[in-house]
Amino acid sequence: MSRSGGIPRISLTWLLVAQVLVILPHLGHLPLWIVALWLGCAGWRIQIFRMRAGYPNGWAKAGLMLAAVLGVLMSRGSLIGLDAGVVLLIAAFVLKLVEMRTRRDALVLIFLGFFTVVTAYLFDDSMLMALFSLLPVTALLAAMIGLQQSSLATQPWPTLRLAGGLLLQALPLMLLLFVFFPRLGPLWALPVPSDKSTSGLADSMTPADIAELSRSPELAFRASFAGPTPDRSELYWRALTLEHFDGRRWSQSNFTQQAAAPSWSKRGEVLRYSVVMQPSSQRWLFALDVAETSLEQTQQMSDFRLQRRLPVERSLIYQVSSWPEALREPQQVAGGLNRTLQLPAQGEPRSRAWAAELKRQHAQPEQLVQALLEHFNREPFHYTLRPPPLGQNNIDDFLFDTRSGFCAHYAGAMTFVLRAAGIPARVVAGYQGGEYNPAGNYVQVRQFDAHAWVEYWQAGRGWVSVDPTFQVAPERIEMGLEEALAGEQSFLEGSPLSPLRYRQLSWLNQLRMGWDNLNYGWQRWVLGYQSAQQLAFLQRWLGRIDGQSLALSLVGGGALLLGLLALWLFKPWQRERDVQRRIFRRFERLLARHGLSRLPGEGPRAYAERAAQALPAQASAIRAFAAAFEAQRYAGQAHSLAQLRGHLKTLRRALPWRLTRVQP
Amino acid sequence: MSGRLKSHWQRWLARRIPAAASVRLNQRRIFIIPSLVGGAFLLALVLMLLAAINYQNSLAYGLTFMLAAVFVVAILHTYRNLAGLILKAGSAPAVFVGEHASFRVRLESSARAHQAISLGWPPAELQTLDVAALGLSECQLSLPALRRGWLRPGRLRVESRFPLGILVAWSWVDLDLALLVYPRPIEGDLPLAAGANEDQEEGSRAHGQGVDDYQGLKTYQPGDSKRRLHWKAYSRGQGLLVKDFASLSGRDPLLDFAALGGDVEARLSLLCHWVLQLSARQQPFALSLPGCLLAADSGEQHREACLRALALFGEPA
Repeated sequence: MSRSGGIPRISLTWLLVAQVLVILPHLGHLPLWIVALWLGCAGWRIQIFRMRAGYPNGWAKAGLMLAAVLGVLMSRGSLIGLDAGVVLLIAAFVLKLVEMRTRRDALVLIFLGFFTVVTAYLFDDSMLMALFSLLPVTALLAAMIGLQQSSLATQPWPTLRLAGGLLLQALPLMLLLFVFFPRLGPLWALPVPSDKSTSGLADSMTPADIAELSRSPELAFRASFAGPTPDRSELYWRALTLEHFDGRRWSQSNFTQQAAAPSWSKRGEVLRYSVVMQPSSQRWLFALDVAETSLEQTQQMSDFRLQRRLPVERSLIYQVSSWPEALREPQQVAGGLNRTLQLPAQGEPRSRAWAAELKRQHAQPEQLVQALLEHFNREPFHYTLRPPPLGQNNIDDFLFDTRSGFCAHYAGAMTFVLRAAGIPARVVAGYQGGEYNPAGNYVQVRQFDAHAWVEYWQAGRGWVSVDPTFQVAPERIEMGLEEALAGEQSFLEGSPLSPLRYRQLSWLNQLRMGWDNLNYGWQRWVLGYQSAQQLAFLQRWLGRIDGQSLALSLVGGGALLLGLLALWLFKPWQRERDVQRRIFRRFERLLARHGLSRLPGEGPRAYAERAAQALPAQASAIRAFAAAFEAQRYAGQAHSLAQLRGHLKTLRRALPWRLTRVQP
Repeated sequence: MSGRLKSHWQRWLARRIPAAASVRLNQRRIFIIPSLVGGAFLLALVLMLLAAINYQNSLAYGLTFMLAAVFVVAILHTYRNLAGLILKAGSAPAVFVGEHASFRVRLESSARAHQAISLGWPPAELQTLDVAALGLSECQLSLPALRRGWLRPGRLRVESRFPLGILVAWSWVDLDLALLVYPRPIEGDLPLAAGANEDQEEGSRAHGQGVDDYQGLKTYQPGDSKRRLHWKAYSRGQGLLVKDFASLSGRDPLLDFAALGGDVEARLSLLCHWVLQLSARQQPFALSLPGCLLAADSGEQHREACLRALALFGEPA
């Protein structure tokens, strides 16, 4: 077999199809010129195949390569990094098509194709993507089969069917490997996709940022509780705290980055739950107060948030235990109280005056906070995502003039007033609530659930959380943003087609819930199947886990699956045990060579008669064999295999030895 | 050392796959290993696995495992493609040195179809063909005939890389293929052998002489040379008649090895040339080789016998 020969037509066809399917998922993050290059190269390649164009010469090849590299440099700004790498990979994948002459080139192209499919997973690892990627993989395998010098490989559909069959037969073994193959931690750090758009909380906040988030229906995380899911008004998911105020913007102080775990004591009930977090490109995790997690490389920071060592760049699963009633830093605040009393040197005179007034009226911080909350409740404050513009003294304007805004306004203003009254306080940013999915018994939290609230410190009681928004718009906390905005229809203004807007249609809502549940399962059981999850899963099913039992299960399971597959492929039970039938099969085979195959359902006699008419010269020998077979098998004549064999031998001698194409 | 290893290997093969005119490939006779392409495939899988590990990407793991499983499944498929194939030796007509010897090998399917089966004797290029389910294919394998005598090409390599080309399943079958190679005919003058004729009238050369005396026609009998058929008589409807020549004993030329000079091969080549020449002219002749004398005769059988004697001259039987 010449392995260096040209590329057969079918293989080329499947390669072209595979290339379309491989590149399709990448289209979203490819520069346009790559698409143009690809179309040009595919056209060129087809013309080469039709003998209307030549292969590129050395200069053309070098020029194209250089142009592609320059193009990547221009559109990505560098040649390193995952994005540039993927564009380069695809450029090579496209250019190799034109240059491909031999089978070996075709194989290089096919392997490049497999690798390109893997890179597509780094950008999108949804269930749909996984299912879709089976198409390019099948086409690539079909192209591999098409490289064989066989008549089967010259027909497109049988080739494709064989490729699909191979994949299907490989599926059980693949699942076994997936479950049992030990997962390792990353061996070295690799660049991550940068244009994977992540929206979410940032480490500083103006009301406008939160308003921006409120327009996004994108998923932030999902959480499943081990026990009953708490009421949504109790779900305050902490992300980070904002302690520094510059007059317009709340941001986190550097101190929280340095200090380690604060002192706190567990109290009351514990909530256990697991969170599957979407990539956020930030280091903090989401959890209810006060949280503890076993996730590695994660620690509790001084403001009670959970933080990883590295940003969350791919979806992350972690288990959390939370003590909502825990006592937090009752004696003293780590790093002193100054940070939590900081205010801009000037500005907001009316607020400062009001704070001084409140302080005079209420000696105890508790009473002051209560009075403040009552104020928000009593006075005509209004919850809206379309607040009127605020002036230079934005807290003054908000508290005394416009009196309309949303969580960020209320939390910011309250913290300001508390600090001005000498009570240590800070803004907590995170998410509030979430939608309960009864199909999967979990809570899904989206970006529009982003929320800000307040916590203040009091000696002896430690940090206490309060939510001024609850006083203004309790429906935001109890039911969600959509209900809170029922009057102004500003909920998800930017996404008119989002199914979240049509929750009142119950069938659509059920469909949406079911789909989300499916995705959640995918994320937890497939995407999240990494070292910790694998260990937990295997321990649940196999009991104790060590390398030996793992290897044993892998090898044993693999042998079992292969044995079953071999049985199915070779079908040894079809091998005739019955000697008479075996001889008859030989008779059939002999006649088949002369173009006379037995039709399905054709009896021995009818078949022999047909053969006798087709081969008049051998008719007597054919009839003799058929008569003997029939007499022995059906008429109860004594079995004489020698007689049957003799008849067959006579027939074989009578037949000319010639090759006849089997008639269709 | 490698020679000893090779002979050991040959002995082992002979025990495992003994020579036979018909060989059915089964698990005893089929070997299978990853091909070079398969090695590259595995390398690509390792790269994909590294990407999966470093990006902790379950789907990348999944695709890697899928292709690894395809590799394992392909072992079964590649083996299955060869298993159950029956190889039979076909006829192998004799050739002259310098020609291409062609062996016919029949491939029979005992149940399923066999795709892209390659046959041949490496390092020569293998021939590839398909066998339909319950079908039969024939393949002509040619080999240059370099020396006279029996040409035994040895074990035949049968291999298949179908379906993916990442594995190669092969067997070395011994179909006991053998083919007779006659000496290369080389033109030259033949000194008329002394023992054949002392008659001066005929001159000293057989070369240029006419055919023997024409005696008349006799009815054709199987075994008579077809070249002597009297076609004109046949067209006139007189039946098959053969021109009969008087074989005048003593006047038939004797091709005598001993009467020639030069080395053995040259002499055999010259004799071969004259066997062909005289046979073409329907002239009876005798052939004398040391230790072997073929009496004067003509016809196909005589020609074959003479050529066979020339081919096997000096060879162990």
